[in-house]
Parts: sequence; structure tokens; C-alpha cells
Amino acid sequence: MASEDILRLVRRAVADGDPERAEELTREAMTKGQPPLGILESLVTGVRELGEKFGKGELFIPDLIMGGQAMKAGSEVLKPALKGQDKERMLGTILIGTVKGDIHSIGKDIVATMLESEGFEIHDLGEDVQDEAFVKRVKELNPDCLGLSSLMTMTMPAQRDVIEALGREGIRNNVKVLIGGAPTTRQWADEIAADGWAGDAVSATKEAKRILGN
Amino acid sequence: MQTRLKDLSAKKCVAMLEILSRDDIYRIHMASLEILEQVGVVFKHKEALKIFEDAGAIVDHRRELVKIPEHLVKWALDKTPRQVDLLARNPHHNLRLGDGHVHYTNGYGADHVIDFETGQRRESTIKDLEDFTRMADYFDNVEYVYPSIFPRDVPKAIVDRYIYLALLRNTSKHCANSFLDLDGFRDIVKMATILVGDEEEFVRKSAILDTNATSGPPLKYAEHTVACIIENGKYKMPATIESAALSGGTAPVTIAGTLAQMNAENLAALLLYQIVGPGTPIIYGTIASNLDLKTGIPAVGSPECGLINVALVQIAHHYNLPFYGTAGVIDAKVPDEQAAIETLQNVLLTALAGGDFIHDAVYSILETGLTACHEQFVVGYEIVDRVKRIVQGIEVTDETLALDIIKDVGVEGSYLKQRSALRHTRKHLLQEHWQPTISDRLPRNIWASKGSRTILQNAKDKAREILENHKPEPLDRDVEARLGSFIKEVAKKKLSMTGVM
Repeated sequence: MASEDILRLVRRAVADGDPERAEELTREAMTKGQPPLGILESLVTGVRELGEKFGKGELFIPDLIMGGQAMKAGSEVLKPALKGQDKERMLGTILIGTVKGDIHSIGKDIVATMLESEGFEIHDLGEDVQDEAFVKRVKELNPDCLGLSSLMTMTMPAQRDVIEALGREGIRNNVKVLIGGAPTTRQWADEIAADGWAGDAVSATKEAKRILGN
Repeated sequence: MQTRLKDLSAKKCVAMLEILSRDDIYRIHMASLEILEQVGVVFKHKEALKIFEDAGAIVDHRRELVKIPEHLVKWALDKTPRQVDLLARNPHHNLRLGDGHVHYTNGYGADHVIDFETGQRRESTIKDLEDFTRMADYFDNVEYVYPSIFPRDVPKAIVDRYIYLALLRNTSKHCANSFLDLDGFRDIVKMATILVGDEEEFVRKSAILDTNATSGPPLKYAEHTVACIIENGKYKMPATIESAALSGGTAPVTIAGTLAQMNAENLAALLLYQIVGPGTPIIYGTIASNLDLKTGIPAVGSPECGLINVALVQIAHHYNLPFYGTAGVIDAKVPDEQAAIETLQNVLLTALAGGDFIHDAVYSILETGLTACHEQFVVGYEIVDRVKRIVQGIEVTDETLALDIIKDVGVEGSYLKQRSALRHTRKHLLQEHWQPTISDRLPRNIWASKGSRTILQNAKDKAREILENHKPEPLDRDVEARLGSFIKEVAKKKLSMTGVM
């Protein structure tokens, strides 16, 4: 098999949303002596192709998510070889979670996966996350962005609580805060001094890039 | 409205539409039992876990996971009454669910409104809630009243109480409430106690209120939801169990799998209601639909939503429970053809299936429940009016077969000349032929001479007429004053605590 062929197959495994095959082909490409950065490029191109098709309405969210998982499976294989090099590719680190009192995960999960497939490093705190847990993890991880999801009108005030807690700890300016969820609005984001707002999963990626200056 | 069809709900409805076979229902039921026994349901509430454990469920306290054996489900279903009464401020509006009739209500919770005068979309206010409630009071097709509006100009810490007072002041029908938290629940109970007289009277008449448990799928209940279920054990007010599954997102993409999971979620909540308050009347419901997998937001006006409602009517009736549907919700952003298609499609399907109670049927809210619109409310009224006529069906008796009249008129006669035929027509017209309120049936020349009006223009006029003229039955002055001072007291306490004004 010609060396370019294996890279094309890696790209296609991602575009087909096949994590097992992406992992296997990445290993094969390494064995064949392909440079890790070249393989990574193929993985990323695969996701980018999916993103373009998704943008045109030709694909569905699960297609995109499986593609993201395939890319991740491939990158895991590359990780040891890429040490020190992969950060360059990453757009930034994002910590994400659904605020206290709110057990909804779906919107947050979609946003997390889409951000991940765009090249952000994602750390997901899950649902019903207390203010202190957000603050603690921000301190530990020092992410570029904190994503706060709220799907219910009643839990929206918790987004403000987290931002205020960051302020009390003196770390509010260390991290951009992106809020989102069905009941939230740009106006609400402004009111609680969030840096960005995304009303739905698809626009969250754009907004994250905007506030992080990508 | 003298020319309206009479006694639309008088005749008992039979299910005209079934999509699941008996075998299908049995397989879904068995799948739900397997989910409850093997996967379990998360209840994020320590006391609830203890209650489940004492009742014989298998509880993993660390994971807050409750695994429920079949015999507990059976016990709970046996404890649950077959019918549910809802009481109204004016007893004339009392309702019985589960007696074979289909009942309808309005939508819930829009936080935006298309301004009636300017046509601009804006945040909703308590005044909007009063206006939409007054319209709901006027419409006979709204048989009990939900708060159509979630007002944005009242602080969240006290909004539940303001919503309830706005409902009580603008309708004498049964009012459904929203409780944002346990405090809200308790305060609404206090307000209802003031309304009916005293605590003793409230325990007797707790059906003046109702409550609900909405799941947080997959297979999970939030802390505040569970707290309200447990609190309801004291009062046994009627409770709706409503899985909020989104097929393809928080439940399987296949509708059958979604139904099995929803049923498991509903049965788990039903069990807790029965343990803490044996005999609590339960309305078996859904607020489920599918997730649009291109946008990641719910598709609420989808055909699948209609199918889920029809299937769950059958499952609820299999358990001898009255059904609560959420059908008629709209994805469209403006009151257009799409909006009308979406409401009609799912309300008609659910009504034909014999759904006892259809929430969001007389629908007034666009954009997945976010933006209320007065004109759409009138259109929703007209849609339900048509559906009611269809559900009424065709009565076949000697009188309606009208053989003697057919013989009288004979061949080449006229039903508009023959006197016995005219009498027969006048006697039965309003039972047999539906009459529109805002739909147009004029001949073109007359329609044109009246300004070539569209249904939305007619709807706007009707809405204006209601808003300007309709006066709901007033709340007793003394009760209103006491409710007012109760709310002021709560506001003083709550707002000084949070510092929000």
C-alpha cells in the first residue's frame, strides 16, 4: 500500500465515523513510518470534512460525534509520539458542565462533542455541578474557557452564581465564560457578565472561537 | 356564540385510533419492567432512596440508583385510582379525567411574547400572563388553565406565587401551577388553603391544585422534583407523571425503545407517589418528542410526537389510568401554515386515540414553547373546535338515519323546502354541523368585499374583542386581599434574603 493511501484511509475512517478502524489504521500508519504530525493532519481533515457536510445540512449530529470519537481514538494512539507537539494544534482547553440543580446533559454533551471535534480539549464535569466544583477545577486545570449549561429557567441563576464565585476567588479574569441552554439569552449573558452566549449546540463552536480569538 | 355546535363533549368518546397491538403493548410493558429491574432509575434525593429501600426496592446509595422489582410496580398500579377529579374555583368547571371524554387545555410557560400592538418579539410580563389567562378563561375549549406565560419581570425567587395569583384573578377554572422548587410548592399550597378556607378544607379539596413529576431522561429525577413528590404525600393532590424523553438524544432513536424507557420513568415516579401517598390520583403522561439531529433542539411538532402520544394513550389505558398528552406544540417561529399543521396533526391524532386530557392543544406558543402569540391562541381554539367535532363522530340512531324524512322528501324534493326536513335540520344542525369562528367559507365576492381577510386577521380581531370585553368571574375580595398580603410577605422575606429586587 502506498504511503499516501494509508493516510487517505485514516481520513476516511474518521469521515465514516469508525473509531475502531481509525485507531487500527493510525497504528498501521505509524508502523509504516508515517510522521505523526502527518497522520494527525489526516485525522483532523476527516473531521473537518464532516463539519463542512454538517454545515450544509448533509449530515446529522451523531455522524459528527462518531467522527469526533474516531479522531480522538486515532489521536490517543499518536499521543506518546506527539508529546509537546499536539498543543499547537489544539484551539484551547474548555471546561464544561451543567449548573447545580439541573440534571440535563443532552445540550451540554452535544456542545462538548462538537467543540472537541473542532479541536478543543474538553473536560466535562457532568451535570448538577456545584459552584465550588467549577471553581476548584478551574484552579486545577486553568482552562481557556468555562462552559456553563442550563436547560431550565429555574437553574439559570446558578450561571450567575458560578461567575460570582470565580470573582470571589479572584480568578474571574483568568478564564472566559461561555453560557448556554434553551432559556438563556444574549441579554442574560450580558446581565451576568458572561463573555459569550450560545443559544444552541451548533452556534456554541462559533462563539467559543470568537471569545477565544480563534 | 349561539351558532356554535352544542354539547361537543357530551358524548363519550371511543378510541377511533390504535397503533399498537395488544402484543406490542405487552412487549413494551415487559421491556419497561426489565429496565426498572436491571438498569434502575436515579432519584437525586437521599430521603427518597431510603423510602424506596424500605418499600423493598434495591438501592445503590452512592449512585442514587433505585432498581425496582415487578411486584412493587404492580402494587403501585393497584393503589392508583382509575379516575382523577380536578376542582375549580367555580365548581361548574370541575373536571373528571378518565370517564371516556377527551379534555383540552392551553400551553405552558412562554418567556417571550409577540407584542399584540407592535408585532415585535419581546420578553414576557405578568400583564401578558393576565391577558393570556383571560383568553383561556373565555375559550370553552380550554377546560382548565395553565400559565401560558412565564413572566420575566418578576424575580424568580417569588415568581411561582405571582403566577398563581394571576391565574386565580383571571379564571375561575381549575389552575395548573408551576413550582420552581419545594418552597414554591409549599407557598402555592398555602395560597390554595387561603382560597378554599382552611387547612382541613384543603386536605379535603387538594384537587383544587395539581402537581407533576417530569423526568430528566435517561432514567433520572432531579432533587427538587423528588422533593415535591414526597411533599405531595401529605395532600395527595392529583399528579401528572410525564417523561420528557427526546428520542435520538435522551432515549433510543427508535420510537418503541423510547416508549419502553418513558414507561419505565413514569412507573418509577408513580411508585414513589403511591408509597408516600397511597391512592394519590395519577395522570399518566408525556412531554416527550424527538431531538432534531441536525440542530440538536427538540422537534416538538413532529409526526413522531403524535405517534408517541397515541401509543402512550394505549399504554395508560392498559394500566387503567387517565392519559395526559402533550400534543399541539409548535416548532414554527411565526403563526404561519407550519404552526397550524403542527398543532392540528398531533392534537387530532391524540384525540382520535381517546387521550383523556390533551395539554398544549389550544396552543398559543411558537418556537418550541418559547414565544406566545395571541393570534395563534385563537387559531389553536379553532383547531381544537374542529377536532372536537371529529371526535364526536357519527351517531347512528333512527332519528339520525332520518328514514322518515328521506321518504318525506323523496326523489327530486328539497331538504330546504320540505317542512319536516326543515324541522329535522333545525333540530339537529348544531349537533351535526360544525361552525367556524375564524375560518372563512364566504363566496369569493363577499369575502373580497369584506377586505379579503386572512385567518390571522380574523384571529387578531377575535383576540382584541376578548381582551377588551371579557371579564372573568371575580375572585372573592377578601380572599384576593389575603392572597395579596401573603405574597407581599413572602416577597419581603425572599427578596431581602437574596438582595434581588
